[in-house]
Amino acid sequence: MSRLDRTRTSPHQLRPFFSSQNLLNRADGSAQFDFGGSSVICSVVGPAEVKIRDEKLDRATIEIVARPLVGLPGVKDKTLERNIRETLEPLILSGLHPRTGIQIVVQTMKEDGCILSTAFNAAILALLDAGIPLKSILASVTCIIDSRTNQILLDPTIEETTHAKSTHVFVFDNKVSISSINPEDVAMDEDSKEPSHTGILFSDSTGLFTEDEFFECANACFKAAQAVHGFIRTAVSKKLEKEYQQTRA
Amino acid sequence: MASIKTEQPPGSLLPQGPSIVLPGDLLPAPGTRLVTDDDDAFITTSTTAPVIKLGPGLLVDDDSIGAIKAGILKHTPTGNRWWVESNQRRYVAAQGESVVGVVISKSAEHYKMDIGAAQHALLGVLSFEGASKRFKPDIKIGSLVYCRVSLANKDMEAELECFNPTTMKSDGYGELKNGFAIKTSLGLARRLLDPKTLILRLLGQHTPFETVIGMNGKIWVDSESPKKIILICNAIKNSEFLSDTECKTMVKTVIEKL
Amino acid sequence: MASSTTASLAASPAFTFSASTFQKLHPTEYFRKFVSQGVRPDGRLLNSFRPTTVHQGVITTANGSAMVRIGGTTVVCGVKAEVAEPKLDAPDQGYLVPNVDLSPICSSAFRPGPPSEQAQVVSDQINRVLKESNVLDLKDLCIEEGKAVWSLWVDVVCVSYDGNIYDASLTAVMAALANVRIRKPTYEEGVVKVSGVDNTDEDDNSSFKLKLARTPLSASFVLFDTSLTLLADPNFAEEAISEGQISITIDEQGKLCAVSKVGAATTSLTSMRQCVDRARERSQELRAIMNQHQ
Repeated sequence: MSRLDRTRTSPHQLRPFFSSQNLLNRADGSAQFDFGGSSVICSVVGPAEVKIRDEKLDRATIEIVARPLVGLPGVKDKTLERNIRETLEPLILSGLHPRTGIQIVVQTMKEDGCILSTAFNAAILALLDAGIPLKSILASVTCIIDSRTNQILLDPTIEETTHAKSTHVFVFDNKVSISSINPEDVAMDEDSKEPSHTGILFSDSTGLFTEDEFFECANACFKAAQAVHGFIRTAVSKKLEKEYQQTRA
Repeated sequence: MASIKTEQPPGSLLPQGPSIVLPGDLLPAPGTRLVTDDDDAFITTSTTAPVIKLGPGLLVDDDSIGAIKAGILKHTPTGNRWWVESNQRRYVAAQGESVVGVVISKSAEHYKMDIGAAQHALLGVLSFEGASKRFKPDIKIGSLVYCRVSLANKDMEAELECFNPTTMKSDGYGELKNGFAIKTSLGLARRLLDPKTLILRLLGQHTPFETVIGMNGKIWVDSESPKKIILICNAIKNSEFLSDTECKTMVKTVIEKL
Repeated sequence: MASSTTASLAASPAFTFSASTFQKLHPTEYFRKFVSQGVRPDGRLLNSFRPTTVHQGVITTANGSAMVRIGGTTVVCGVKAEVAEPKLDAPDQGYLVPNVDLSPICSSAFRPGPPSEQAQVVSDQINRVLKESNVLDLKDLCIEEGKAVWSLWVDVVCVSYDGNIYDASLTAVMAALANVRIRKPTYEEGVVKVSGVDNTDEDDNSSFKLKLARTPLSASFVLFDTSLTLLADPNFAEEAISEGQISITIDEQGKLCAVSKVGAATTSLTSMRQCVDRARERSQELRAIMNQHQ
């Protein structure tokens, strides 16, 4: 079955990823992440000076600002900010930089579905670029259930989202995926046996769906998130390779 | 440096080649095995176990050692040291590092210095070679100073000094007069200090210049004319993502402009 | 780390203090002592919810209203219907605008001024549940296509805040929507006329009720400590020390309308399933409470 965007052939196929790190000159770290036609740029400043009013004695103050594609920030952007902060704040080892501030700005550049997932992935790449100490990294994937076919479509476009009966956003960290997940475990859930170590870091689902559909979505997104994790690793190694060309010899 | 005792598995756990780690990855890098006996896990009190010294980018979490930054996992057998070499733009003061700072303000006892970290650093007016109550160096606000971090603590402002505390000699530290300073990434500054990095030698073959490289990414350059200084600064900045051969052609085009 | 602190404190008899001091100094450790025994400081079991009451029709001047108490959390919801012009791209659809207000009156944790982030997030969550699970067909709110529609302002005011604002607000919104009565309008030459008395209790022909396709109700949980123990219906103190929050919204047929998990800890699918099972029971209890008072 072909997808609505006509470039993809399978419901579980993701759109091509693209990322670029260190693209803003004045920020301490920055990254762009694209899922096909959706693009988000994220900048990180810090650990830097912080207003006395916001200063915390035992850890860094983390501020997230989400900017929409057009217009002024609204309730949607507040929710985006809160989702990103609640997920990233615990990952940042803020205790290592007390009395400082870390500001993360998330700017939507192009919108074609899955903005929350794109923003999550852009933010983690920007944090890596800035060298902020992190407990682990994360990867996010969105899926929908099509109301006409009842099929799970990963990484939907805006057009596909209009036919969705439910939307599901998931975030997974890399703590389990590197050490304890081997291909056999992941293959296990083919016959609806879920890998017991799949930990959901963040999940947000709305619409109308059954319990089984929810867990099927979680498993499908978990598998796809491994591809995103792999991509993040490649992106980081490519950047390091470029930097170390002279000293390697 | 946190020290932790650990048992090494039969055969070395050294990863082959440069291994790239991301936050959340456990040491040793993927492909090698952690020593875990069921209950008496990774950390053992056995006196025969070698001591691992952890450097930047690694942290002990519960009973495992994990990376907290993205970079290359490095190891030296002397002292069994492990660390992650990563790049960033924001400086975090570390004791013993040489930095280039800018004087922000001065009081009777201290100069307040901007070294690019989250907080300003303090440079005592007596922390210079031969300084005394009667004879203090007079450095103007806005001047560049090459100094050493004498005290760095995450909870406090860093302290700087402009002499070697054992010999009381300046050791090359002090005010940087004339010249021009640029800001680069910390990784580039570190690599410029590595003699294997070609760019400074290449530039030196064509034109004489003086340079001071601060671990905080501030690089000071002085040469015969402002035009030369700017060309050298640009060449250093441009070299960050170039290979040796690319550097050679880049330097050639720069020199042609002189 | 905390456990070693208390161990050394217990060892020296000179260092004793009251339970309330202990709670203030080591809130997590204080809690852990209770949780390890399978109870919570307020006497609840780990998976039990606080006593809940729902009262409908508490505001006579509103088209529909409800007051919900879950333990120490009290919210009041009022629905006001106003005639408005429809949007150009949806000429036959009315408006349904939920808003949650967390003012300093309900807790010292909130400051006066523009709506706090938490208030905006809860409003958005409720808005999404109402829209995405098609609770109300907005076409039912049409008076005259392209000219006039009903706009329903669903305002939730928190009177007393003691955690779990989402469950309380959603329950209040659903109870208030079920309570709504709107006088039947007539449209003549650009003028909307409404007759009769507002909010009459009798089912006469002069007013109509909303046709709610489903009644989504939610159950929230927090994850506590490194053991990630699930605590149902968290109060303010429990929210403050939690490692993550899970909310499950479910309708009367057992279909899920929303699932959300935020916070530091990763949740296994097994505990997600536990939450869904518990939420199913809870939403039925809640529905029974709602119908009791109708």
